[in-house]
Amino acid sequence: MLEVKNLHKKFGSVEILKGIHFHINKGEVVAVLGSSGSGKTTLLRCLSFLEKADHGEIIFDDFHKDITQIRPKEIRQLRMKMGFVFQNYNLFRNKTAFQNVMEGLRIAQKVPEPQAKEIAVNTLKKVGMLERSDYYPDQLSGGQQQRVAIARAIALSPKVILFDEPTSALDPELTGEVLDVMKMLAREGTTMVVVTHEMGFAQEVANRIIFMDGGRIAADQPSKEFFTSPQDENIKRFLRRTLADYDYTI
Amino acid sequence: MSERLLDILLSSFPKLLLACLRATIPLTVIIFAVSLVLGFLLALVQIMDIKGLKRFARIYIWIFRGTPLLVQLYIIFFGLPSIGITLDAFPAAVIAFSLNNAAYNSETIRSAILSVPQGQTEAGYMVGLNYRQIMMRIVLPQAARVAFPTLSNSVISLTKDTSLVASITVVELFKTAQRIASVYFEPFALYCEAALIYLLLNTLLTFLQSYLEKKLVWKPVERTKHFTKAA
Ligand SMILES: Nc1ncnc2c1ncn2[C@@H]1O[C@H](COP(=O)(O)OP(=O)(O)OP(=O)(O)O)[C@@H](O)[C@H]1O
Ligand SMILES: [Mg+2]
Repeated sequence: MLEVKNLHKKFGSVEILKGIHFHINKGEVVAVLGSSGSGKTTLLRCLSFLEKADHGEIIFDDFHKDITQIRPKEIRQLRMKMGFVFQNYNLFRNKTAFQNVMEGLRIAQKVPEPQAKEIAVNTLKKVGMLERSDYYPDQLSGGQQQRVAIARAIALSPKVILFDEPTSALDPELTGEVLDVMKMLAREGTTMVVVTHEMGFAQEVANRIIFMDGGRIAADQPSKEFFTSPQDENIKRFLRRTLADYDYTI
Repeated sequence: MSERLLDILLSSFPKLLLACLRATIPLTVIIFAVSLVLGFLLALVQIMDIKGLKRFARIYIWIFRGTPLLVQLYIIFFGLPSIGITLDAFPAAVIAFSLNNAAYNSETIRSAILSVPQGQTEAGYMVGLNYRQIMMRIVLPQAARVAFPTLSNSVISLTKDTSLVASITVVELFKTAQRIASVYFEPFALYCEAALIYLLLNTLLTFLQSYLEKKLVWKPVERTKHFTKAA
């Protein structure tokens, strides 16, 4: 469904992505793992055009184009099919939870008011935030803000949702409520790319793991395989380190 | 206080008040409105990185912030006639003050816009908004709240700075006080009275500021503390 080929990205003279081939099929949950600085965020940002790639191709359903040649109008159309959940939520601070969800529906997708309201109510209910509809982001906890941010993304019925470490800005006791919402989405068959440090989530929920190392994809395999028979020394080391943390926090 | 002095003060009070209403307040309002629009445009061309205009804005701000307002006023009122441009005192005052205040306001507005985190814009793009919609609906409302106290401050400064235009013969509050003072030889009393009226005017403005500030706040007034993240 969504695919990039031979994606390259430099910041200044430093090459951060060194030829990424990445694809995701409908209904899949792909977890992107890798140590800090390996380029996970940059990959998601290039996929959503928040960062301009230097080289590569993008394929989204029947759309296929050189990623550097893409026009602003096409970017907007592609973004309409994507949701993005940020590490630090990025809820619109001048709008209530409800208005945050309404914004894209009313202004970008031009959904008529009554339908938009119904969708907003339903999605907020789904993430358990309906009672807090009229709260401003500053009045919500991190976990609540992230749930509203997820509602804002799914309200627009994107074909794929990109998550960039959705729980890593949260206090440990708040990660559960956000992960639960994401698990529910996965059960419903939502297509998701999730950059995460939550090994539990990657093991239990993801169908496939992509492991990034130094700007390359070092492993791309079914979740079970990845954890039971790691391919190389770097992955083994990464797993030893992170799974040790994971066991420890449980 | 002698009876004569009291009489002078009482009889000049309405004259000073009238000068304030007729000249000081209109000057302030017009100058503020013009300089706000100009300042906004100067800020916007810099934010949007429009090549030639951005450079123009930087040079403009450099000049108008780097030279004294009184000198600018004199150049426009006394200087321009020598190259064939003669202006009445009032429009000359409006032009000089507006150009000067625009330079300051643009810096206030620019930094307020830049204070809105990049993530707000990115989130706007990801829900499908375009640049104009993001500016109008997300960034500028947030920037307005940041800029408001500083802009209020500049209005308060402006009411007082308009007293400078007395020096180019505009008969506003201060000029009126000067005239009466020279008739009765009572500078101390008259200038104190003028100061009092400026103080009254700015007291009103301060009330207006705090009223508007409450309206600009998008949070409900009652904040429920325990829902915000602890510590
Ligand atoms: N805007 C930028 N300008 C310059 N360098 C950048 C920029 N964004 C990221 N980088 C660099 O790119 C590299 C990869 O960053 P990226 O954020 O993609 O890593 P990551 O895998 O998401 O790491 P983390 O797990 O810490 O979030 C880092 O070395 C980072 O310093
Ligand atoms: Mg990252």
